[in-house]
Amino acid sequence: MMPGILEHLAGIGDPRVVVFGITGKQGQSTTRVMTGFGTKVLAGVTPGKGGQEVDGIPVFNSCSEAVAAFPAIDTAVFFVPAGAVLSATREAAAAGIRFMVHTADGVSTHDAALMREISITDGFRIVGPNTVGMLDTTGFLFGLIGGNASWARRNYLPGSVGIISRSGGLSQLLGAFHCRPHLPGPLPGGGYGELWGEKGPGVSAVICVGGDPVPGTTLLEAAEAFEADPRTKVIAGYGETGTMQENELAEAVANGRIRKPMVMFLGGKFTAAGVSQSHAGAMIRSEAETWDAKRKALEEAGVKVVDRPDAVFGSVASVLSSI
Amino acid sequence: MPALAEYRTRALLEREGVPLVPGSVLRGLPETTPAFPVFLKAQIPGATSRKKAGLVRRIDSAPDLAANLDELLSREGCECVLMTSGVDIERELYCAVVFDGGSSSDMPGGRVLFSESGGSGIESRAGSLVEMRFPLSKPPSKEEILKVLPSGGWSDGVAGILAGMVGTFLKYRLLVLEANPVAILRDGRALVVDCRAEFESRAVRKGEEELFGTGGVSSSDSTQIERTVEAINRDDPAGTAFFRQNRAARPAGAAAVATNLCGGGGKMLWEMATGGREDIFPLNESDTSGGLSAFKSYRFLRAVLSQEEADLLFFTGSGMAFQSQLHIAAAIWKALRESPRVVPFMVRFGGTDEDKARALFERVSPTLRAPVRTYPSEVFPNAMVDDIAGFLASAGKVEATRPEDSHRSSEPAFEIEVPPGRFHIDGALCAECHDRPCLASCPTKFLAWEEGSGPRPGGTGRCIGCLMCEAVCRLDGRAGLFIELGIPEVE
Repeated sequence: MMPGILEHLAGIGDPRVVVFGITGKQGQSTTRVMTGFGTKVLAGVTPGKGGQEVDGIPVFNSCSEAVAAFPAIDTAVFFVPAGAVLSATREAAAAGIRFMVHTADGVSTHDAALMREISITDGFRIVGPNTVGMLDTTGFLFGLIGGNASWARRNYLPGSVGIISRSGGLSQLLGAFHCRPHLPGPLPGGGYGELWGEKGPGVSAVICVGGDPVPGTTLLEAAEAFEADPRTKVIAGYGETGTMQENELAEAVANGRIRKPMVMFLGGKFTAAGVSQSHAGAMIRSEAETWDAKRKALEEAGVKVVDRPDAVFGSVASVLSSI
Repeated sequence: MPALAEYRTRALLEREGVPLVPGSVLRGLPETTPAFPVFLKAQIPGATSRKKAGLVRRIDSAPDLAANLDELLSREGCECVLMTSGVDIERELYCAVVFDGGSSSDMPGGRVLFSESGGSGIESRAGSLVEMRFPLSKPPSKEEILKVLPSGGWSDGVAGILAGMVGTFLKYRLLVLEANPVAILRDGRALVVDCRAEFESRAVRKGEEELFGTGGVSSSDSTQIERTVEAINRDDPAGTAFFRQNRAARPAGAAAVATNLCGGGGKMLWEMATGGREDIFPLNESDTSGGLSAFKSYRFLRAVLSQEEADLLFFTGSGMAFQSQLHIAAAIWKALRESPRVVPFMVRFGGTDEDKARALFERVSPTLRAPVRTYPSEVFPNAMVDDIAGFLASAGKVEATRPEDSHRSSEPAFEIEVPPGRFHIDGALCAECHDRPCLASCPTKFLAWEEGSGPRPGGTGRCIGCLMCEAVCRLDGRAGLFIELGIPEVE
């Protein structure tokens, strides 16, 4: 089997998962979506609820207990409150988890920075916080993508587009619409119409890096994973104002670290500097973090930046037809 | 980013033992006359250029103190006045600790900043700034800071202040902590004369709220509807409901659009599509996300719809919501039924059960008091925006009509409390209902049926506030079930 994107993000070919907060409402329902999509969830963790089962998945009081019972576990998906995310990360790291997905919104920037710091020094990988998660069409899904498993299976089909995004909604949308038959949209040559027939280009994987100021995995790091992924022919994504993620992505394209073609839609053209945004990471703190500066940097590097979100698909189709 | 008033920043520094110029917080005349001169500083969170704005004053006499104190306390947003003693300053320095988000190649962490030119603007410090980066897990000690400071008789004292500032920065998870100036007195002591901090509301721990106050979000700055949404968020915190009204003037002839946009991406898409247009005036910014319940969506929509100038209500997700679009559709339908104000409505559902959500709206549209246009998820918000003018022209003028009565005239036989909701069940109507659609629609099996009376809490699950029972009761039952969801009253 072709390894999924996790091989290139965290050196994991066939992920085995523990779910933190599996007994909660969201943990329980989302675990069903994940397993229904094909994700191998071996255990759950909820302090004080060890010994219970959720849909046949055993629950443990701690991550170390779960890993002792299932040594193959290498990945953790967290449905825990924002205030508990840092301590849960430490617990999972101590138990030897190598890949973590944090869905919580509202994690303090200090905690997020500490999480990234620990992940770098200890050599594991985090996606999030404030992410809907990620999905790979080899058959695993971590987080909130898809709503229900059959919907996710229908809407995310194997193909050649790698999705990177700072928005949960747009991660899902950019991924699903590359798989939708007869998708309408603006045509690269002008006009509006069907972009492809029954079969869209499909996706290799979708990585939502999250909307916070300090992501565990940056847009660049996600793009580097797609650069190494042989299934991915083109990278498509959503960036926005705030942070330097798009700027360093542009630099990597300019200096040849990223060679695969890239199509981006950038949000925040009309975002005023210094104003708090609902995506905490979108607040502009310097001139380089503005929409204009990012667009210029990306275009000068050779990235195709489109003016409207539904223009991503036509551009991707056009790039693919020229490869 | 919320800013902390100086007196609050001082309180944080004081707890870490950082030496400060002597001062006291006044909300009225001090009991004892201070030794003059003193400085009065109005404490308005987020205020900048305080000297220019007359918010900082030197006072040399008791009558001056009384007059100036009264005047400063009466300034809008003034929480109190900080009175500090005059000190004999030999030189002024600049000290700060700021957050650094890092990059793909640099670890995030903090930065200690120091300059020998204090008390002035940042421009004058550009060439003389000493910087020391540190990981948050390994803050520098006083001795380590001392090694990077220029040597001087004051170095030890300043290193102590910076070490205390690092401790404060970490303890309260601040983003910016600035002491400017730090004064070196003629007797050699170093102390903080002025200071400020920026923090994240999300980083304030339980029990510390009093220390941080409103952080520059003065209640006098927010509108009544914004305060209503704040109140909704407070009593139903699950899921984000972000709302901010547009303070700009509406251009002549522009369509005023009230929005409920889903997700930060949805908000961005709307802003990208409308930002450069003169013909569309967004009445508010919005972002609902994080799996908020239909109960909360309904209350949020009622707040959005209460904007009197609205010509149109615009609802769209950014993409593929994981939360049930059918539940959201039930919330929107209820808001459109019960809102006193009604306007034409454009909606795009996207995600789980989007087809069912659209089908619900197509079914109920003829019963609504204003025209509705629904879009499939493949149509992006920018394409919907292009449709606004045409839709409003075809909708014509919407006549004001009475909203549906929320309370029926007959006394409800039974009530179920599910905060913030209250179910009213009209037993007489329910007794005639044979299909009992409310039971089948309940995704958690919260409801059970009591023969001759109707639905009762007694099922196996708990209510998640999805509003499906009420929606199907109206569509396929006897309309005996009504859920009352109060909108908080704010001043």
